[in-house]
Amino acid sequence: MSKSRAVAAAAGFALLAGLATACGGGAAKGSATAAFDPATCQGGTLTVLAQQGQGKFDPAELYTSGGGKVPTLVFRTLTTRDHTTGGPDGAKVVPDLATDTGEPSQDATVWTYHLKAGLKFEDGTPIRSADVKYGIERSFAPELPGGPPYLRDWLIGGEQYAGPFKGADLPSIETPDDSTVIFRLTKPEGDFPYLATATQFAPVPRAKDTGTDYQKHPISSGPYVVTSNDNGKSMVLERNPYWTRSIDDQRLACPDKIVYTSGLDSAVINQRLAASSGDDARAVSGDTDIDAGILARLNSDAELRSRVTTGYFGATQYLAFNPTVKPFDNPLVRQAISYAVDRQSVINAVGGSAVAKPATTFLPDQPAFGYTPYDYFPSGPSGDPAKAKELLAQAGYPNGLSITLSHATSQTDIGPAVAAAVQEALGKAGITVKLDPSADDDYGTRTQLPSSEPGFFISGWGADWPSGGPFLAPIFDGRQILTAGGNFNSAQLNDPQVNAEIDAANKLTDPAAAQRAWGQLDAELGKQAWTVPLYHPVYKRLVGKDVKNAYVSQWNGVYDLSRISVK
Amino acid sequence: MIRFLLRRAFSTLTVMLVLSVVVYLVFYAAPHDPARLVCGKGCDGVRLAVVRHKLGTDLPLWQQYWQFLHGLLAGRDFDAGTDVTHCSAPCFGYSFQTDQPVLGMITARLPLDASLAVGAAVVWLLLGIGAGVLAALRRGGIGERALTGVTLAGMAMPVFLVGLLLMMVCCGYLQWLPFPSYVPLTQDPLAWASNLALPWLSLALVMAAAYARMTRSALLETLAEDHIRTARAYGLGERRIVLGHALRGALTPVITLLAMDLGGLLGGAQLTESVFGFDGIGRLLVESVNTIDLPVVVGITLFAGFFIVIANAVADLLYALADPRVGLQ
Repeated sequence: MSKSRAVAAAAGFALLAGLATACGGGAAKGSATAAFDPATCQGGTLTVLAQQGQGKFDPAELYTSGGGKVPTLVFRTLTTRDHTTGGPDGAKVVPDLATDTGEPSQDATVWTYHLKAGLKFEDGTPIRSADVKYGIERSFAPELPGGPPYLRDWLIGGEQYAGPFKGADLPSIETPDDSTVIFRLTKPEGDFPYLATATQFAPVPRAKDTGTDYQKHPISSGPYVVTSNDNGKSMVLERNPYWTRSIDDQRLACPDKIVYTSGLDSAVINQRLAASSGDDARAVSGDTDIDAGILARLNSDAELRSRVTTGYFGATQYLAFNPTVKPFDNPLVRQAISYAVDRQSVINAVGGSAVAKPATTFLPDQPAFGYTPYDYFPSGPSGDPAKAKELLAQAGYPNGLSITLSHATSQTDIGPAVAAAVQEALGKAGITVKLDPSADDDYGTRTQLPSSEPGFFISGWGADWPSGGPFLAPIFDGRQILTAGGNFNSAQLNDPQVNAEIDAANKLTDPAAAQRAWGQLDAELGKQAWTVPLYHPVYKRLVGKDVKNAYVSQWNGVYDLSRISVK
Repeated sequence: MIRFLLRRAFSTLTVMLVLSVVVYLVFYAAPHDPARLVCGKGCDGVRLAVVRHKLGTDLPLWQQYWQFLHGLLAGRDFDAGTDVTHCSAPCFGYSFQTDQPVLGMITARLPLDASLAVGAAVVWLLLGIGAGVLAALRRGGIGERALTGVTLAGMAMPVFLVGLLLMMVCCGYLQWLPFPSYVPLTQDPLAWASNLALPWLSLALVMAAAYARMTRSALLETLAEDHIRTARAYGLGERRIVLGHALRGALTPVITLLAMDLGGLLGGAQLTESVFGFDGIGRLLVESVNTIDLPVVVGITLFAGFFIVIANAVADLLYALADPRVGLQ
């Protein structure tokens, strides 16, 4: 999230919003170009306008969901997210470098992949299984930190392995021939194909590895090569001559060139895309949702409305309880708070129903996660203070009680606006809420360290891939209570039955069966009110007027750059 | 003159040293762990220790500081684990978070901040001094009151607001200018100027107010002095009196202000850079504070401090040139 943007900018924002409304939609002109056709979509330059940079562009160091927005243009992985649709199927995992999404052994502890024929790096050398193995091994090197932790936890010997730079290899990744890779895991992991979408599964040729400098010019296996890279802040990608659609059924790679520009203010990104002048007509928003100013114009400006895409990323914002702190050890108190919460006012605090929808389940409301609807403490849109008071009386607080709600100081979804909305709603139920703000990074450290964790605070969770496992396990698996920090099991729940159900669901390799299991577990956990789910975010993003085939992926909530055309 | 320069050089060094010690102390005392930030989710003890060692934060404070000083004077080697990078003196440190030497990161951004500062200074001097002179000569009139109002409003408007409004009107609705993005002067002077026009103007609008007010009051004061009365008695023309005699004396405080402002801006103009999406020194500083990239923070603080100290010395020199009564003590 954009911590660096001065809070002060928000003031300018609000004023701009008013002015934008007053001016109507005069600037944007309709585009009269032919319909999108994949056969003739090639050409032109696509510009991506973003607030945040890409960071170090090394496949070992990147932390992406489903291969990311820009990385997936350069790094092909064993599997990938379904790029071909903006619908719910976008949350499905499909083969990329591999011929299928992986063949599991009986108990899902061994996964075998075969590489497609004819795959090449940007220099024309063939991609072999050893390159995939080496790419993964690099991600274990402490010299290249930052990637997701799963490989270390899942691969046999991963915990001790320190990367290939000191000469050792990781025997649990086998390459019996040039096109076969076999992974041996410590325990059953039905979600392995989802993990294989991460950039760590991109091939890296050992001969071209320059260690920490590799990020400056990583060797491409995808449709574009990096021709200029200013530390991930601005990047230029151009066609990879050795990539063709015949060996990649996921990416269309329409533009000849893609320019990534970051460091822009969110209001500026929206203004530029709305105005769509010059190169901005062929630009998309990289990470910025439309703001109140654009939102206000949409009703009266059909052309602008046609350039806004709505998308979803599986995430839930919630209130977290720490039951080791009184009175949150009392389930009746937690339930009373669940009844008292006014979700509509929380949603208004983060920008209204255009950007968020109320949540009563912890799992996001997408089938891929195993969404199973429930609402055990129905509070309606605006809270049920009477029911909350009743429960408080039962809990031994007939005259109400005083609690403290911790939140971050930045104007974000964990900030003061949400805290104030919760405070007001709980006040109606006789719960006096004292607010306890702390600066963002301190807030993160405090809430993720069990010894300093507050009793009641605002939190959020987004999964690394659209499945119930990475969504529920870090929050509710007792073996994932991290006492040294980085802990997200806020309830510090260590229930043997829950742990066993998580293990059982992790063994399932059939996505439909796994979805049922995760949905059931979520519903069981929901009854115990370990959290109060508040809302699921909705993404609304803008493109320039000459951009075609732009849709938001339901896997990671960003535009799929590999399918966009500017011609 | 030489004594003046020597003394200034000595005090500059002292200020730099004190600055660097303070920055180190502040960051060491702060309860942050840059290694954990770099290392990512679920980073365990051994891995964390390796990252800490790579960042150099596993050493005691005095040792970290000593290494820094040593690098500054004699250069040093940085071991990234996979390769060793040599950083020759004056080595301001190495950012492992971006894998670049700090000095390079700063100097790469300097042309942008210099373009921004100098260009804006020209605009605000024209606006500020012009408005100040007019206001002094037309004292009490409607024009003067209007000017005072405008300059006050300019002073009260923060640059991020002026910048956003200018961009929305000039780039969004009227489309007179491109949405600013930095083009180096050496690459295309016209694009350089047209892209920087709005940043210059918005910075200048905010800054000009102070210059207008200072010019006005200093000019009024000078105009009331004896030598001006004498000049008038000799029958010199009003234009010559104001521009040739009074303004020269009135400009000395303006010079001091200008030197300080320029010095400050060369060390980064964070808000202006943010609004216009420029990757300048100010932005780099804020980002580095957020990611606890200590070498970069120390480097920029020293760099900015250096500019301010130098600007002060230059101001003193110019002072002496503008007003012969002031000597270089």
